[in-house]
Amino acid sequence: MLVKFNLNGLDVEYVVKPGEYLLDTLRSHGIKSVKKGCDASSCGVCTVLVDDKPVLSCSLLTAKVEGHRVTTVEAIQEEAGKLSECFSKEGADQCGYCNAAYALMVHALKKENPNPTEQEIRDYMVGNLCRCTGYQSQQKAIKAYLGGKK
Amino acid sequence: MKAKSFQRASSLEEAYKLVKESPRNKIVAGGLWLKKGGADVDTLIDLSLLGLDKIEDKKEYVEVGAMVTQREFEKSELVPKMARDAAKAIMGPAFRDIATIGGSVYGKYGFSDIVTALLGYKVDLVFYPEAVVGLLDYVKKPGFYDGILTHVRIYKEDLKAFFKKVEITALDYPIINVAVTKGKEYRVVVGSRPLVACRCEKADAYLNEGGEDFAKGAEIAVEELKFGDSIATKSEYRKQLALTYVRRGLEEVNK
Repeated sequence: MLVKFNLNGLDVEYVVKPGEYLLDTLRSHGIKSVKKGCDASSCGVCTVLVDDKPVLSCSLLTAKVEGHRVTTVEAIQEEAGKLSECFSKEGADQCGYCNAAYALMVHALKKENPNPTEQEIRDYMVGNLCRCTGYQSQQKAIKAYLGGKK
Repeated sequence: MKAKSFQRASSLEEAYKLVKESPRNKIVAGGLWLKKGGADVDTLIDLSLLGLDKIEDKKEYVEVGAMVTQREFEKSELVPKMARDAAKAIMGPAFRDIATIGGSVYGKYGFSDIVTALLGYKVDLVFYPEAVVGLLDYVKKPGFYDGILTHVRIYKEDLKAFFKKVEITALDYPIINVAVTKGKEYRVVVGSRPLVACRCEKADAYLNEGGEDFAKGAEIAVEELKFGDSIATKSEYRKQLALTYVRRGLEEVNK
């Protein structure tokens, strides 16, 4: 079936299987920043934005994004770069597998709640696993990036 | 998941016709459980175009469209706070932006926090074609209703509410979840045992007849429930948790 949507500002048309998930569609079209982790709605590394809302692309049928806007980290490179600097300063970067999803989550959080408390950051990021860092350094980095409010 | 076709229904009538055509045609709500269940499907029926994504104030009740996501539900001021808080604690936002209220309720999953929380309120389910079924009746009756769930009606009540879930990590299924409400009557609900949530009707009766010993109310609740084992924990532990949190819930709604 043919699915039309906007990917990072460009209108695209992809032929997909009816039961195909967005993660597989994006990766098969070269968007490798969207990672495949658990493939079972649990780890968050496949996160993308649909109409600015974070969603798990491993669990969203591609057919359901017809007519919607899909954003991956490629579209927010400047912001991702700044966040990456904060990650580096706090030692929050190790393998980097979860970073693209983190950048998208922080981007969405900033839009939704530009001045979050530490608990609000924690609650927002709860679905994004990182097996390297233990989360404290990322928490500090995100807080620093968002301006260290409250 | 394998599927032969994907159909965006243009009307409920069309969707229902497709459902009736074959048991292998399935409604897609968020689609999360379809994947986890690994179903092979003939036609995936999508309800996204049918305007079922609104939360509306209808004077006597709040009407939640079946395609409203858990995130939209938790953010709406129209939804009672305890139900919002229960939704907020499910997985992460990227999960809740996909999962729908209709999918959670229709599936009456044992682990569902949404069903447990909603059983603390007077809730009706609206099905196409033409049927309104109480959530309590729907949950108690085995199997699934023969129709398409379109709306969940949460009646407005002046009540105090308590919700608690216990899980090993924030991304696990709950080991137990408990809702207690007190308005004109008590409602004690225990779910994820790991069976689907149910009202503790004997405990409700004891409390509604004036019983004031909350520890005894919790004991009655636990005695009338069945608890089971799962990979996460044993029935005995679930039972102890239920005993504790039902009592605490009763204390909380009486403050």
